[in-house]
Amino acid sequence: MSSGSPLTQDQSRAIRLMGLPFAYALALLAIPLGAVLLFSFWTQDFMTVDTTFTLDNYREVAESPIYGLLLRRSLMVSGLVTLVTVVLAYPVAYFVSFHVAPSKKSLWLFLITIPFWTSYLIRVFLWKVILGYNGVINSGLTQLGLIDEPLTFILYNVNAVIITLAHAFAPFAILPIFVVLEKIDRSLLEASRDLGETKVSTFFWVTLPLSMPGVVGAALIVFIPTIGDYVTPELMGGAGGKLIANMIQTQFLQLNNAPLGAALAIVAMVCVAGISILFVLLNRRWLRRQT
Amino acid sequence: MSLRVYAIAYLIFLYAPIVLLPIFAFNDATIIAFPLSGVTTEWFGALVGNRSLQSALVNSLIIAGCTAVFATLLGICAARAGAMADYPGKRGITGFVMLPLVLPEIIVAVSLLVILRQVLGLDLGNWTIILAHVLICTPFSIAILNGAFGNLDPSMEEAALDLGCSRWEAFRLVTLPLVMPGIISSLLISFTISLDEFIIAFFLTGANPTLPVYIWGLLRFPAQLPIVMALGTILVGLSIILLTIAEIFRRRGITRSGGQDTGGFL
Amino acid sequence: MTDLISLKGVQKYYGDYHALRDIDLTIRGGEFFSLLGPSGCGKTTLLRVIAGFEEVSDGTVVLSGRDMKGVPPNERPTNMVFQSYAIFPHLSVAQNVAFGLRKRKDIDKASRKSLVEEALKMVGLAGYGDRRAHALSGGQRQRVALARALVLKPKVLLLDEPMSALDRKMREHMQVELIRLQRHVGITFVLVTHDQEEALVMSDRIAVMFEGEIGQVDEPEALYRRPKSRRVAEFIGKMNFLPARVTGIGPGATPVARPAAQDEVVPGRIPQSRAAVKLSGLMRRGGEPAADTPATPGEAMISLDIAGLGQAQVPMHQAPEGAREGEVAVGVRPETLAILFEGDQAPRHECPGTVDEVVYYGDMTYYDVRVKDVPQPLTIAMKNLMGRPVLEVGQSCRIGWDDRALVVF
Repeated sequence: MSSGSPLTQDQSRAIRLMGLPFAYALALLAIPLGAVLLFSFWTQDFMTVDTTFTLDNYREVAESPIYGLLLRRSLMVSGLVTLVTVVLAYPVAYFVSFHVAPSKKSLWLFLITIPFWTSYLIRVFLWKVILGYNGVINSGLTQLGLIDEPLTFILYNVNAVIITLAHAFAPFAILPIFVVLEKIDRSLLEASRDLGETKVSTFFWVTLPLSMPGVVGAALIVFIPTIGDYVTPELMGGAGGKLIANMIQTQFLQLNNAPLGAALAIVAMVCVAGISILFVLLNRRWLRRQT
Repeated sequence: MSLRVYAIAYLIFLYAPIVLLPIFAFNDATIIAFPLSGVTTEWFGALVGNRSLQSALVNSLIIAGCTAVFATLLGICAARAGAMADYPGKRGITGFVMLPLVLPEIIVAVSLLVILRQVLGLDLGNWTIILAHVLICTPFSIAILNGAFGNLDPSMEEAALDLGCSRWEAFRLVTLPLVMPGIISSLLISFTISLDEFIIAFFLTGANPTLPVYIWGLLRFPAQLPIVMALGTILVGLSIILLTIAEIFRRRGITRSGGQDTGGFL
Repeated sequence: MTDLISLKGVQKYYGDYHALRDIDLTIRGGEFFSLLGPSGCGKTTLLRVIAGFEEVSDGTVVLSGRDMKGVPPNERPTNMVFQSYAIFPHLSVAQNVAFGLRKRKDIDKASRKSLVEEALKMVGLAGYGDRRAHALSGGQRQRVALARALVLKPKVLLLDEPMSALDRKMREHMQVELIRLQRHVGITFVLVTHDQEEALVMSDRIAVMFEGEIGQVDEPEALYRRPKSRRVAEFIGKMNFLPARVTGIGPGATPVARPAAQDEVVPGRIPQSRAAVKLSGLMRRGGEPAADTPATPGEAMISLDIAGLGQAQVPMHQAPEGAREGEVAVGVRPETLAILFEGDQAPRHECPGTVDEVVYYGDMTYYDVRVKDVPQPLTIAMKNLMGRPVLEVGQSCRIGWDDRALVVF
């Protein structure tokens, strides 16, 4: 299809139909994002916004150690959550794709997705109940006489944040991997066995490389949104477990410093996008070297 | 075999928090901890007649209802366009509309807050949350409806045209009934997402909080926690019911349009 | 017969892709017409142009005297049987058949019902009205699609590869039934198919298409016996090609008419114009049908020197213009060549050969026979008549041929 050729009736009809959702996303996503970018170059003093162009916000983000610390911690937490989630999710996706009867597959997927759709806030809070000082684990273990003092390393710190987020994003990781595993031509695996590979080597040489696009998709779909979560660190993180999203939220809603908040949001987004692109590229190169 | 054990253990891990909800909702103690002390329906009783809770619930229902309808309408447009013809820039445009699916929610929240409040100087209210929720629900709606429209044999609609229908009649008499299960599924999913959504609603809520924002407020008061548990039990129960209905319709839609079930909402 | 469909200079582009190239075609009223060609040749596009699903990039489409420019499919006097049949799965069989009738204001409910019943009866589905679409087999779906279209009494019924979803037995059965149905309703049928046998069996006339162009429009037998180009010849049936040189054109010998042999087999239905063929009585060995038509008395003959076979004379009409001098190619169908067994009638010409390959089909045996100076082994089809042995590879044999069975390209 050359770009210069006139559109067919069907094409112009499709474009007209797509126009509405596209216009909506443009108006409520692209333009607002542009506004955020613009704001990050302005300053605000309580309610009055000074629209002279300045890099002050970015300078402050770069110079104040707190922002760098929060950003590094956020990226570290998101990275760990991604790693834990994907590693835990892969065997489940593999199991459902390869070992569950076709008629039962949607039931399994449904069971996996249900917790994901149920009140996020309450789920996060429940982890507090589970991991808390008087929580299910501590009170349970004390009852059983296994511990005298409640365990403290599992609440109000980064560990708790990671556990909770890993739980919250689990289905997000399973589905993309599952979809890719489903698409793998089963005769490829038989061919590999036929050519003398063992089950294990077939997995590492055929199944895993072929499912890498799903793994990458899963990693991104977990990594990117976790950066934006302020609920879990707020409830679970305590003082030492706060993340960049909490700072953005504070700047906007409590300190009324939208421009600084905007600059933080832009920096966080650029970091996430950069890491994501790097990750995709590295993975591509690794896959190419494999073949 | 060991894989199966692992998968089941994983499911238990997924469901552990949810299972605790009703347990503590009926537990006769203000502290959420083991051992359990007795059964009570006191916490559910406390929900009845709670004015601010009711107003938050009504807000959330209005928002979720409007979100479901608008997101599904946009989803229908996009999914139908996607099933029709390839046009230049299709991938880019579709990718852009699907972007909110992977965008950190706080970014969506912040950018809408900036544009609505700072740039346009508007007052926040239910409608601002609806705008944002439609944005994040549309990709889910598209994903669900793509299944319904994509499985549809394109000659179905052509056959209706060939038999004398106008374009609109062909859509109404043939396509719409065939994708209706998908539409219902999309409505229910969008409704559920909007009902539960907190991160964006917290930024954009006006004077009257939504239900999750109201719950967030309760979480700060330990004495209120058993009530939160009771409320959570009801909400989770409601979500599961809605999702089950959505799943049933989604599957029925796929069989009706003659496709193969590939499973899952995404 | 009047022209019902008339296409003039039809062009269709998809972007840079030229799907239909300058199509001129007329289809007559009451005709069973086929569009035949390999996949991607534009035959389905042409059908969809007639139905109104595709707009032409250039040229005119006239349906029963009316220019169809800008007329949407729902207002055209055509109905279509889709490749997938497109039976509405949310409706019953009767509701499917009644679908198009709802739009007819002049038909009341009672007569609509009887029309539906009549249509279902016509396609052999009486009593199936309440069934759901997904409870039907492939053949039944096709019948519903036929009833749904025919109940509207269109001027033209368009059929897009209607047999491709059926298994072989069912396909053969439905071919016969479709011919019967077409004769019964008298409506013009336009069939798209990639199956040459299907086209030959069913059609009054066939248009063979290649790469968006029409290669030849003819009656089945003419198409088979006198393909106008190598492309057509290669697509329909098998043909041996031999290099040859035109040595001259002259009045030639008057063909001898012989009575038809008893076991003559002519494929397809024979239009009246083909009566002459029956009288020609050429190449009667073993009952293989003759591949030529006789020269009309006084018709000029082309003299050829064929590689390996030698001198031959072919009536002028067997050679299209542009193939009447210099280096040419000669085509000969496998069943018009013969391996000579004892007791066979003496052919016009003979030459020696060696069996190179034997493919046994039960009723037929196909031999590849090497002949000195012929570049490719000749494929020869022989009926396995009683008492006739099957030769083995390496055996030498004699080949009989007749210059009147040759086609020049």
